[in-house]
Amino acid sequence: MVIDGQKCVGCQSCVVACTAENVLPPGVSYRSVPEVEVGTYPNVKRYPMPTQCMQCDKPPCVPAANAIAPGSFSKRPDGIVAIDYTRFRGRTAYEAAAKACPYRALYFDDGKFYTQPTPAFQPYEEAVSHDYGRRWVRERGRRDDPPAGGGRKCHFCLHRLNAGMVPACVSTCIGRAVYFGDKNDPQSLVNEVLTKKADKVLRIRANRGTEPRVYYLCDDVQLSTSVHT
Amino acid sequence: MAEHRAARNTRRIRRRELLAGGALLGTGALLASQIKLGEVLGLIRRAEARELRPGDYDLANPENILYSVCQQCNTQCGIKAKLRDGVVVKLDGNPFNPWNLDPHLPYRTSPFATAAVDGRLCPKGQASIQMAYDPYRIVKVLKRAGKRGENKWMTIPFEQAITEIVEGGYLFRHVPGEEHRRVEGLKEIWALRDPKLAAAMAADVAAIWARKTPAEKRQAVEEFKVKYRDHLNVLIDPDHPDLGPKNNQLFFLWGRLKGGRGELIRRFTTDAFGSVNAHGHTTVCQGSLYFTGKAMSEQYRDGKWTGGRKFFWQADQESAEFIIFVGVNPFEASQGPTNRAQRIAHRVREGRLKYVVIDPILNRAAGTMAWKWLPNIPGTEAAVALALVRWIIDNRRYDERYLRNANRAAAASDGEPTWTNAAWLVKVDRDGVPGKFLRASEVGIAAREVRPRSDGKGTYEFDPFVVSVDGRLVPFDPYDARNPVEGDLLVTTEVAGIKVKSAFQILADQARARTMSQWARLAGLQVKDLVEVAREFTSHGKKAAVDIHRGVSQHTNGLYNCTAWYALPLLIGSFDWKGGMVPGSTYDAGGGRPGQPFALGRLHPGRTTAFGISIIRHDVNYEDTTLFHGYPAKRPWYPLASDIYQEAIPSAGDAYPYPIKALFIYMGTPVYANPAGHTNIPILADPTKIPLVVANDIIIGETSMYADYIFPDCTYLERWEFAGTQFSMPWKVQPVRQPVIAPLTETVRVFGQEMPATLEAMLLALAEKLGLPGFGKDGFGPGQDFLRAEDLYLRMVANVAAGERADGSDAVPDADDREVELFVKSRRHLPPTVFDPDRWASVVGARWWRKVVYVLNRGGRFEDYERAYEGEQLRNKYGTLINLYQEKTATTRSAITGRPFLGVANYTPAPRDLLDRPVADKGYDLRLLTHRVVFHTKSRTISNYWLLNILPEGEFLMSSRDAKRLGFKNGDRVKVISAANPEGVWDLQHGRKKPMVGTLKVIEGIRPGIVSFSLGHGHWAYGSQDVVIDGRTIRGDPRRAKGLHANAAMRTDPVLPNTCLADPVGASAVFYDTQVRLVRI
Repeated sequence: MVIDGQKCVGCQSCVVACTAENVLPPGVSYRSVPEVEVGTYPNVKRYPMPTQCMQCDKPPCVPAANAIAPGSFSKRPDGIVAIDYTRFRGRTAYEAAAKACPYRALYFDDGKFYTQPTPAFQPYEEAVSHDYGRRWVRERGRRDDPPAGGGRKCHFCLHRLNAGMVPACVSTCIGRAVYFGDKNDPQSLVNEVLTKKADKVLRIRANRGTEPRVYYLCDDVQLSTSVHT
Repeated sequence: MAEHRAARNTRRIRRRELLAGGALLGTGALLASQIKLGEVLGLIRRAEARELRPGDYDLANPENILYSVCQQCNTQCGIKAKLRDGVVVKLDGNPFNPWNLDPHLPYRTSPFATAAVDGRLCPKGQASIQMAYDPYRIVKVLKRAGKRGENKWMTIPFEQAITEIVEGGYLFRHVPGEEHRRVEGLKEIWALRDPKLAAAMAADVAAIWARKTPAEKRQAVEEFKVKYRDHLNVLIDPDHPDLGPKNNQLFFLWGRLKGGRGELIRRFTTDAFGSVNAHGHTTVCQGSLYFTGKAMSEQYRDGKWTGGRKFFWQADQESAEFIIFVGVNPFEASQGPTNRAQRIAHRVREGRLKYVVIDPILNRAAGTMAWKWLPNIPGTEAAVALALVRWIIDNRRYDERYLRNANRAAAASDGEPTWTNAAWLVKVDRDGVPGKFLRASEVGIAAREVRPRSDGKGTYEFDPFVVSVDGRLVPFDPYDARNPVEGDLLVTTEVAGIKVKSAFQILADQARARTMSQWARLAGLQVKDLVEVAREFTSHGKKAAVDIHRGVSQHTNGLYNCTAWYALPLLIGSFDWKGGMVPGSTYDAGGGRPGQPFALGRLHPGRTTAFGISIIRHDVNYEDTTLFHGYPAKRPWYPLASDIYQEAIPSAGDAYPYPIKALFIYMGTPVYANPAGHTNIPILADPTKIPLVVANDIIIGETSMYADYIFPDCTYLERWEFAGTQFSMPWKVQPVRQPVIAPLTETVRVFGQEMPATLEAMLLALAEKLGLPGFGKDGFGPGQDFLRAEDLYLRMVANVAAGERADGSDAVPDADDREVELFVKSRRHLPPTVFDPDRWASVVGARWWRKVVYVLNRGGRFEDYERAYEGEQLRNKYGTLINLYQEKTATTRSAITGRPFLGVANYTPAPRDLLDRPVADKGYDLRLLTHRVVFHTKSRTISNYWLLNILPEGEFLMSSRDAKRLGFKNGDRVKVISAANPEGVWDLQHGRKKPMVGTLKVIEGIRPGIVSFSLGHGHWAYGSQDVVIDGRTIRGDPRRAKGLHANAAMRTDPVLPNTCLADPVGASAVFYDTQVRLVRI
């Protein structure tokens, strides 16, 4: 994934699209767009920074999670870091993995629903979701049925990739700020963008050695680096 | 195991279904047409451990997709709704629709191919699911069980509500204090029922207005009373027949309304019932901007300025090289974000577009990629514009060739699609105030001509206009297509004792009233920045545009501000050019164009003529009416405006010009939406002021809570509408909203038909009970029944499908068999109360059915991408005279001061009250603004929990400099007080007061001296508070109660304390001219 920070308008449509696409409950948001204000009046700028799981090539969450919940995390051949919800259960495993992640990409699903505290629970909250190519339904009162009762994170909308579509955040971005594809394919848009703007590419917290697969374009690399950290 | 789980859950649902109540979605049975829970759980049984195959992503299956139009804000983007078992689970953009994809797909693309192509959509659109599936939605009719606004309700049968409203009676015997109050029903208010009589009276009232002196008018009134002596009882007041018939005491007020429903409301209220009072909310949106567009587009026809379009221009962001945004938030509002951000962001990134944001707040467009952010002092927008105008004129960087063209022929000879009156000579009085245009007969250079009227009804006298060319006066006809006439631009002279100036000279005088430094200082900006902006604006040929919105219009000087800003693109002549100013263009749905099958205007047997002064006193000069008795009038009159929201309830409260007997409010919340909307509450809460109040709403809202009856409506995902266009879009379009999910409201029976409770059902039922002409059997004409909503809307879709050429060459293709099959299959979840393909086909007939399917399969009709331009110009042009000088405005007077308005761009300080006195509230040192964020819209997104995640309580912004100076810090809780509201509360009646308290967010990106709250929070209804229905308390959701809504601090007019400040010319309700103080709590 390549995110052009210069085109992001901070609308957070990606966040809401992801929430809807993946039927995410309260407390779980695979994507977030924190925003930073830089400067002093009247020379001020706003920097929205979309962020999500970086699908690192050297993911620190994998050994950390597997130490507590063996076999729960794996790095797929296509690059996505996958969670087996049936194995990644409970707060202890979650906290171990979350602590290891430099990107705050992991969230705990504690079985809540948005419309549970209202006069009527609504049907869309029990719609099927497709994380990691399987079908999941979260039901009220079943806080220990996966994916509830465990940790979750962005998976690049694997189910949409399997259908030949881009992730929900990419297709809805109104700033046209997100690119997605196969970096190894010389014809791909991501390859073209990364090559053409090589001097403006940065990866967040690259010094941690995680080899994230999400690249950011910014004209002021130095500024963006300091903003990110 | 899974089976048990399924069974257990099904039993749980049934137990819940047994609960009494059923008025709210949440308290009763989920309707059978919704998702069957068992089927969902059955999926788990089938598929738990299996990897998904590509074909398994059911949301990319065309049979599970419907295209419609979003209404989470007024941008009306397309949507692609994805359904699973009848539940909408995901929304994305419609790839056929230019709002959602740039370039959008060719219209002929098959909907089978688009299933895997998702267009773009803003976060509100993505959250629409929560708007529809809102636990607090009303599904049955509510009647108040207590006093107005007490929040005590009872459910009653739909038919009973209809009967009570039509028949009237002692409807509120159950409420202490109202035991003996008899309510007049609609059947009594419908006093004048004879269309011939109505037409005759209307003509005679027009004749009274045409008489010149008060004495002549009085004489005409006496003649009227004699002529109609057997029918005086139908009038509100026989001594003032121009108040119209008692029918006018039915008032239909709406908030967010588009085409289709608009036609229906007008058909019911005006064409059938005969009331002039069908009005919208325009003045709380950008009223004075619309009416600037109207004033600038008035055309000279049959001896009058007429035909001004209610519209405004926006920038062609698809192709512009430079845009000045003033008081506009294109990434968060202003009929963006999806369509505008999509075009602006990447073009800026590629260096093809540069823009400036002039606004006191660093909105997202200003903060992310603007070339400059200029935070002006609110109310000085015209000063900024005139500074730029001055620089451009002084440096001769205007398009002289364009501006010299005085008529159509001159413009055409230069290849210009538009022309202005810049060169026309205007008479100037002794004090230098410009008035009417000079005419040829006044200076003896040509005679008046007798010409036939354009409506074929007789003749009129045409007196040519005049320009000056090298000192020689030249008469001309503005629309002469054969003889080009050009005129000098800077003319000041005297002829035959008459002082005259060219319109351009008058503009230059206004701009030169101050130096650049003085303008800059007034606006709080730097001369250097203004010069750079003016230079840049005049360095891109015609590919430069000005884009303005509420920050410019919602001040007491709103119309003048807008006029000043539109002078800039007039100086460079970029109207109708690629990259310039766009007027917007739609496919007509009303059937008035050649080749269209259903001309709605003619399909109304028994149609009547409504007449008389409206409750908002619009579109008529006070001086022309029989109410004129000198100045000041009791309340302002608005000859140049319409849809004056802030006047609606206060005028009814003051019974001026007459009392209202029945008020219907549709999808509107004037209490929440108006500045100082709290003044509406005591009026609504008092049944003696407006005896009958009926709301049509999806929820018990901040205004509908004060109604007598609330009829449940369906949300935009369940119904029809024709969304029209936005003025920055060069393509001709007509997006069509159509049912996507089964209706969630109860099913009712009207005209023998089963249908969901909606606005349509309510109006059709009232029409049925009353026997209104134009509804029911043969409602459209012999053999053409109007029994159901679709009977109207499908005809309108057919009109859109037909296009606008008599030979049919503009019609869409017929859908093939596969598309017809898809059309039916993708609606398999819709019940017969909203979808019946055979019946639908019979409504439009075999000739149009497949074309209707073609349009509906694509979510509307959209001109192909390449059709936006013809060479270097827009294809869909404005194409005629633009008024740089507005003679109609200059000859209209304020009904309060008696002084005429100004017809030219000018700087008038703000705020001023209706008597034109400065409003200065000492001791209130902070300017209160309100702003839009991309996550919320008006009152209606508070139910979207996904959006509340992002912004749980709105934002209340303060400058870091003010925080330091006043001793505030980030996170402080403060109360907002003003001179108009020193207590700082919303008085909700019945002892409930809601203080205006917010949490400060201290930032750099706001001009010091200003505080601003984001709109959408601070609710006291809409599911945020407990309500009692049928004796049961329905608990409110505290998540919805957070944040600040400070409209009740906004300034009322010292002259009119029950109404906010307003622009006396363009009628804008003023949001940005209030001074406040913050009190730490």
